[in-house]
Parts: sequence; structure tokens; C-alpha cells
Amino acid sequence: MSALIIFSLLAVLMLTGMPISIALGLSVLTFLFALTQVPIEAVALKLFTGIEKFEIMAIPFFILAGNFLTHGGVAKRMIRFATALVGHLHGGLALGGVVACALFAAVSGSSPATVVAIGSILLPAMVKQGYPKSFGVGVIATSGGLGILIPPSIVMVIYAVSTNSSIGQLFIAGIIPGILLAMTLLTVTWIVARKRNYPRLPKASALEVFKAFKESIWGLALIFVVIGGIYSGLFTPTEAAAMSAVYAFFVSVYVYRDMGLKKVPQVLLASASMSSMLLYIITNAVLFSFLLTSEQIPQDLTAWMVGLGLTSVTFLIFVNILLLVAGNFMEPSSILLITAPLLFPMAMALGIDPIHLGIIMTVNMEIGMITPPVGLNLYVASGISKMGLTDTTKACAPWILVMLVYLTIITYIPQISLWLPNLLYK
Amino acid sequence: MMKYLDRLEELIISLLIGTATIVIFVAVLHRYSSGLPIPGVQDWLLTINMSWAQELCIYMFVWMAKFGAAYGVRVGIHVGVDVLVKQLPDFWKKKMIVVGILGGVLFTGIIGTLGAHFVWEVGMREAVATRFGFDWPDLIEGPISPDLELKMWLVYLAIPIGSYLMCFRFLQTLVTFIKTGCLPHHDIAHVDGIDDELYEGTDGLQPVVGDHQKGCKE
Repeated sequence: MSALIIFSLLAVLMLTGMPISIALGLSVLTFLFALTQVPIEAVALKLFTGIEKFEIMAIPFFILAGNFLTHGGVAKRMIRFATALVGHLHGGLALGGVVACALFAAVSGSSPATVVAIGSILLPAMVKQGYPKSFGVGVIATSGGLGILIPPSIVMVIYAVSTNSSIGQLFIAGIIPGILLAMTLLTVTWIVARKRNYPRLPKASALEVFKAFKESIWGLALIFVVIGGIYSGLFTPTEAAAMSAVYAFFVSVYVYRDMGLKKVPQVLLASASMSSMLLYIITNAVLFSFLLTSEQIPQDLTAWMVGLGLTSVTFLIFVNILLLVAGNFMEPSSILLITAPLLFPMAMALGIDPIHLGIIMTVNMEIGMITPPVGLNLYVASGISKMGLTDTTKACAPWILVMLVYLTIITYIPQISLWLPNLLYK
Repeated sequence: MMKYLDRLEELIISLLIGTATIVIFVAVLHRYSSGLPIPGVQDWLLTINMSWAQELCIYMFVWMAKFGAAYGVRVGIHVGVDVLVKQLPDFWKKKMIVVGILGGVLFTGIIGTLGAHFVWEVGMREAVATRFGFDWPDLIEGPISPDLELKMWLVYLAIPIGSYLMCFRFLQTLVTFIKTGCLPHHDIAHVDGIDDELYEGTDGLQPVVGDHQKGCKE
């Protein structure tokens, strides 16, 4: 009963269009005030202790690192390297875009940032070469989703924090699904490009490939700082994030010199406000899940579900549908923060691996980013392509199908996600 | 006056994120470099204790988050579910937006007050009484942070200050909206350095901007 009240309250408040963080907080306050004896003063303390965890602080650091990388010419050199590798095939620039997105995803934790970094350079070039703009937009907006699947990933940090899972294991688990998705997108792009006879670039000689590799080595090295550092235990994830922020700053300003020192305050401010927004949602979501727990809602739902006799197969179908629908209305961090505390105990009761659930949720979030009306990747892609939102959506529509097939594979073959972390951590 | 507050807000959050990064970077460097057997230097490094770095970083980010959230209201970075609201006729849309903003005012106002009350009880009351020699009953010294040994009420002060500032920003937004019909609009699709000329004559389509944004300055 209280579950129904809480969620209707949240739904009504959210539909007024007020910020999600405020809607979460207000529904908690209203419920506590009207229907329970929980001392409301506890709320203020929760607002502070909600984000008083060192793991969460990886988020601002990853955002900062991502912003430095976006402005600092790392993306440009990665694109050059990627097109040198695959440019000679049919649809070379598009394939290069997918590879570049995958590479950039391995140093950045956000999808829209990946779309911006790669798309803003590559899309104009593709249009010049005669690609239909909608094709380029579709490829880039979809591949940008790799940003949250290939580690590091802000979405995974949020999942780990709200379910007490290991950030390191999730990151490692994302590697193989990430590579698999990149391969899938490359294959589809190549088949379409061959059929429509999209332009190829002249084949780069081994020397040219090596030169492009050498140029981009500073950016690529960051992959090892983050993943290697966390896996070897040199750094905690948060420390790795801070190190990559400093490293990205150093490379952008002093090595590539694509960004002047003058631009640093601007990058700091943009990163700070983006992180604050996320942290504010997290704080209020913590408050919300505190209310859910104190009302025993996750336990009740789990008991109810077990009583229904759901199997893990049907449960995962339900999870996917729920998340895909939610992806149409909210951005990923909010969805994760609201649904993870509910879905997690149920999944545990059914014996689903927490890491596998994390990967499934992440892939769902990726799809949410290219579905209207609130797909962040769509907005960003529409911004850099100067193409209307409706047309951008149409451009991405065929790719959603590809993603759905991929989601099914990831959902029902847990080994793809679990093989590597099990190998390394057990 | 307003301008100074705006700049100060921006300055504080930028400095906090920048400093936090440097603090963690230095702490990590210190941890590994003090393991290197360099005569003299190692002894000196070992005398420095950096165990407070994590705690400081957390507090800095909490403060950043509270001020940044207020800044976010000013620039319109807080996202909501606007699917339904966008479909409404203009008259109702305006009403709903006002309700939404009032929700923000209400929530941040309540939290600010609760926070202020909490900070007062958890040590500020005692601190004020001691400082000014008031003879209040039941003075309890508040808790102290484990590593930095800061008075926790000073750290918690971020809640009331941040929330009231945010409340103020919501009110500001409300006034502007009623007066001009404009909302602060954070354009996530805006990217620096995109050359508009590249697209000239391609198909002339422009990203759509919400109706209520027409005639508003960026």
C-alpha cells in the first residue's frame, strides 16, 4: 500500500516537470510528514551523509577528466588513428567513427561526452565526403553509447554505489560486452555501407598507421592508467579517476597544446556544475531509497515476486521492459538510482549475479539514450549535426533494433559479462 | 551586487573541484613516492601524513555539490520529466511550470530550515555559547571529524547555506519566468567550436528550441 502511495506521489510530482531530484525529495518529505513517525530531522542529516562516500567522488573526477579530453585534442588524434586502421573499408569514415567511439569510451565515462568528442569532428567530415547525414548521426549517436559500457563508466559507478557492488569488477565486466557491441556496430555499419557503396578512404600504409598510433599514444595510455591502475590495486577507482583528470589536463594543455590554460576555469566550472547536478540527484535518491527501505518495500516486492513463482528468465524480460520504458522519460542516473534498490534484492533472490545485472542495466541505459523524448545522445547528436530532433530520432531508429538484439544476447548469456571478472577476481 | 554573488558561486565550485583533484593527486603521489628508497627525501616524505586527503576531498565535494546545485538552478541544468508539460496548451503549461518551480522553492526551503536546525543542535549552539559566554542549559559539544578533526557542524553548514541559496535561485527563476516567460535553459546540445558554415546549405534544419524559449536570451 505504502509503495503505491510513494510511487504515485513521485509520478505526480515528476509529471509537473519539476527537476527529478526535487520530485524525489518532496515525495519523501510529504510521505514522512503525512504518514509516518520517522523524525523528519533525520532527513537533513541524510542529505549530507547520502553522498559522504569516497566511491561516489569518482563521478566528478571522471566528468572532469572527460571534459579535458573532449577539449584537449585527444579525440581528434584517436579519430585519426581509428580511420587509419579501418578507413580503407567500405564506409571507412563511419567505421572509423565506431572505433574512435570505442577508444574514447575507454578513457571517458559518459555517453553524451563521447558523442560530442567524436561526433563534432567526424560528422562534418562525413557530410563533406558525401555520406547521408542521417547515417552518420545514427552511427555516432549509437556508438556513443559505448561510453558507459566500456570502462570507466559513470553509470556503473552509480550502480555500484547504490547496490554496494564492486566498481572494479563492474568495470572489468564491461570490457567484453563493450568490445562485442563495438564489433556488432562495425559489422552492421560495414554491411550497410557496402550495400549502399559508401566511400572508402585510401589505404593507410603501415608507417602511417604507426604514426597515427604514436600521435594518439598519450590518450591511449590513459586506458591503462584507469583499468590497469584499478585492477592491479595501485589506485582505488576514485583515485584512478582523479589521476586521469590530472593526466588529461596535463596532456591537453602541455603535450597536445590544443587547449590553453585560459580555458581551464571554463572546463572546471562546466564539470563542477554537471557533477553537482548528478550529486544532487544522488543525494535525494539516497533519501528516497532510505524511505523505501524503512517502509520495507523492496522486501515486500521481493516476497510478492517469489510468491508469483517468477523465474529469472521472465524476471529479466520484465526488468528490460521496465528500464526501456523508463528510459523514455528519465536520464540514466535517475533511473538507476530509483530502480536499482528495488530490482537488486529481487535479482539476488532469483540468483542473478549482481555484476551481470549491472551490465544489463547499463545496456538498457544505452538504449534509453537514443530513444526519444529524453535520449541525451539524441540531443547532443542533434546539436552537433544541426539536424532537427525528429530527424535525428529517425536516423537512430534502425540502430535501436540492433541494440535490442544485442540486449537480448547480453541478458541471456551471462557468461559474456561474467567470464572476465570471474577469471580475474576469483 | 547580484553579479558578485554569481561570480562568487562560480568561483567557489570551480576552486573546490580543482583543489579536490590536486589533493587526491598529491596524496597518491605521496603514497607511492614515500615508498621509494631515496635517502633524505624518503624520511621527509614519511613525516608528512596525508591520511586526511580522502576526508577533505569528500567534504569539498559535498560543499561543491550544494553550491553547484544552486548554480545549476540559475543555469537550468536540473533535468525534469517535461514530456507531459510540453504537450499542454500554453495557459496550463505556464501554470505547471510555476508549480514545478514552487516545488523547488518549497523543498529547498524546508531542507534549509531542517538543516539549520540540525546544525544548531549538533554543535553550533555550544560553539556560539562558548564563544560569547552565554549561559545556556544543556550544552553538548558536537562531534568532530575523524581525520581532519574539524567540528562537524561546520561541515554540515553546507546543507542550510546551500539549500537556502538554492531556494533563492528558484525564487529568482520564478520571478524571471513570471515577468518574461523565460526559463534558464541549459543547452546540452551546445558544443563549442562547431563550425556552422560546414552545414550551410546541407538541409537547413536547425535543432528545435522549446516554444517558451523564443525571444529569450541564451
